Amino acid sequence: MAYVATRGGERAIEQSERLFREEMGSFDRERVEEVKKGLPYLIDRVMGEASLYDEDLAALALAQTGGELYEAVLLLRAWRTTQPRLQVAEPIEQDSLFTHRRISAAFKDIPGGQVLGPTLDYAHRILATDVLQGVSYAPDPVEPATNPSPAYQPSVSAWQAENDLLDSPAEDPTKGNDIPDLTREPLLFPSKRAHTLQSLARAETGGVLALGYAAMRGYGQAHPTVNELRLAEAEIAVTHPDGRQFSAGRVKVSQAEVVDKKGEKLGIGFAATFGWNEVKCIAAATLDLNSPSAEKGSATEEEFFLYHTEGVESSGFCIHFKLPHYVTFQSSLDAMRDAKAKKAAKAREPAE
Amino acid sequence: MDDTLSVLARADATKLKDFAETLIPDLGEIEVLQSQSGLVMLPMRDTAKGVAFHLGEVLMSEAHIRKGDVQGYGMRRGHDLEASMAMALVDLAMATDVRSADCKAFCSAQAEALQKADDDVLRRIEATRVNMETF
Repeated sequence: MAYVATRGGERAIEQSERLFREEMGSFDRERVEEVKKGLPYLIDRVMGEASLYDEDLAALALAQTGGELYEAVLLLRAWRTTQPRLQVAEPIEQDSLFTHRRISAAFKDIPGGQVLGPTLDYAHRILATDVLQGVSYAPDPVEPATNPSPAYQPSVSAWQAENDLLDSPAEDPTKGNDIPDLTREPLLFPSKRAHTLQSLARAETGGVLALGYAAMRGYGQAHPTVNELRLAEAEIAVTHPDGRQFSAGRVKVSQAEVVDKKGEKLGIGFAATFGWNEVKCIAAATLDLNSPSAEKGSATEEEFFLYHTEGVESSGFCIHFKLPHYVTFQSSLDAMRDAKAKKAAKAREPAE
Repeated sequence: MDDTLSVLARADATKLKDFAETLIPDLGEIEVLQSQSGLVMLPMRDTAKGVAFHLGEVLMSEAHIRKGDVQGYGMRRGHDLEASMAMALVDLAMATDVRSADCKAFCSAQAEALQKADDDVLRRIEATRVNMETF
């Protein structure tokens, strides 16, 4: 690719950035708090795609970019590179998730039962236009049950393995810095499973949905049934310098398992992400389910979906096309003119 | 997992700072080895193949202090260096037997508050339990 160096654009560039920022006006800590409090699911989505968990930083990135999601995620990904890594926590295990929502579309009587948790799945989608007329919207309060739900729920897939419907996964003793890490290693194919799942965890939601939806509609080999979907909080299990382990707090996570009949047993796909974003997890788990038998170049092939759902790279590549391509475009025009001239010259040649 | 440290990591930040402040005169001279924010990588276990993979990084604050050979440590979520230092001070006080009874009482009260908050959340979640019937 070739670019032409240009001069004289400094003032225009500066003013264009000012024009962008002027529209949002000044902002302060109060606006960041409002964004954080009022848009928790957007905050979750941004934290997942940035693969950086901190609600304050995500809200700040949204306030600073006026909600331009690709810019917000880019800001956060860039910021994280400036920070030291203090530790690698212990891996989160499914049965230690403080569970808010847990449903299965495969079995109604899963061990531990089903709790809907926070969802709009069964809500009427009616825009609250009264708010624009000055009427405040106040949701009806939850009526708490007398007894609490169990904080921790057993694994559906473990129960299925006990009933010979699934093969139990082998123990993986990899821990700490030995876990493959995309932020420090390149993504190579065939991809390590840890890279695949990390890449899906930080993938762009819309991209994952588009390709996952293609698989669901028939452009894949396996039709997903949601085996288990969880919205939960996970403990961050870190280590004291004297060796004691403790939880340094909780973060919101989503995870989905999808299954499909595969011979005499079920095939299973898995995905998880920071924050509560179940559409992304179901779509990503569908891609994981489909990838083993996917054809080269198909939407469900690992290389295809991992490369094309990386939001920072894909949006960056997309917007680079608006930067000056004067040399490459001139070259194309020269080739067109040359072809045209040759064709005209040939037409003028006398017939033999 | 160590329950006391886990409680201190999630304790109310203002109350933790206020309590830790009162320990400083009794602790005497302490050395601050580290007080910084940074990232903790958080892995998760995949239930399909059993592989551990990285979900992403979490912004944390940590404090590492020392009094003689005894270490105090604090790590909490988010950027709040005062809160992580307060946690380290309480940890050091407990490890050096400084105002142990007060520290234990503080941790008990905070553990109770956290448990109550969890119970409140779980009772609201329980309200969404479905008992499905098929026809």
